[in-house]
Amino acid sequence: MESEVSSILIAAHELKAPMSLIRQLALSLDTENQDSNAYVRSQIIDVSERAIKQVNDLTKIAHLEDGLFKMEPVSVRGVCDGVVSELIHLFRFNHRDLNIRYTNQSKLVIANTELLHSVVYNFCLNAMHYSDQETFSELTVQDHNGKVRVGVRDFGPALPMDVWRELKRGWIEKPVSIAMRPGSSGLGLYIASMFSKYMNAEVGAVRHRDGTSFFVELPVSKQASLFE
Amino acid sequence: MIFIIEDDKIMAECIARACKDYETKTFFNAIEAMADIDRNMPDLIFLDILLSGPDGFTFLNELASYSDTAKIPIIIISSLNLENQDLSEYGVVEILNKDTMYPKEITAYAERFAH
Repeated sequence: MESEVSSILIAAHELKAPMSLIRQLALSLDTENQDSNAYVRSQIIDVSERAIKQVNDLTKIAHLEDGLFKMEPVSVRGVCDGVVSELIHLFRFNHRDLNIRYTNQSKLVIANTELLHSVVYNFCLNAMHYSDQETFSELTVQDHNGKVRVGVRDFGPALPMDVWRELKRGWIEKPVSIAMRPGSSGLGLYIASMFSKYMNAEVGAVRHRDGTSFFVELPVSKQASLFE
Repeated sequence: MIFIIEDDKIMAECIARACKDYETKTFFNAIEAMADIDRNMPDLIFLDILLSGPDGFTFLNELASYSDTAKIPIIIISSLNLENQDLSEYGVVEILNKDTMYPKEITAYAERFAH
């Protein structure tokens, strides 16, 4: 019970940040000219949409046990392309870039499109927060030991030890301490972890001296052979 | 010159907009701000606490350790509950809460300290 309350508090903290931001943006509309107002309005929309997406993901976690998310052959590159087109604007706004490198021969994996999209989205968002300015994050899709590995590598400060220990223990089972990283409670990684488990996909991380890679390994769809 | 040290670009822009009549320089981490401070001594610093890399408290300690930078007035802007903390020995003039602050408060501090 205590741990549940703690998770709720940490999630609430992370969700409070976009609300504070929206409030500040709305307040700054008062004194701006029309051109600037249009820019501020677009920021309000962007921030609120990301927050809504996070709330939706949290809601989905509550429904995972109901088995509502159908597993099916999914084009992994298609999902990754969708995430990149959704996030590239945000990366560039924050003076970062998001590159892609696809080398996978197996095109289809067994997954749920919606959940896989959220996993990749949260990995990418995490990479953006962790990356240094003027660097890029890299989204890779590759064949790995009979599975397809989707990984996101960031270039920035090394992963804090407390988060690393949490990962070594078996991935993130709950949102971890808010002190682990500014602006994030690890909620995105927690969401990615829960969705990956539902899809029977393996998640993991590699710690580099200049950043971190997070990955999910998905089973190849037998149906893939029909397309190859 | 006003320094804004805030790792959220949108929040940094909000602060800069409130200081639009003054020259501002935004830094997304404390290291870059510290490196620049020798070249551009600011009149005022708006400082976030939870930053990538060294946090705001580390930055405050660093500033306090040099006689010239120890005199720079600092306004902390954070969502942490720091309102009851006395950080005046670090040059902190005010602690504003991101959840409740108004742009006019930022403007007022810019008017008071920036030239």
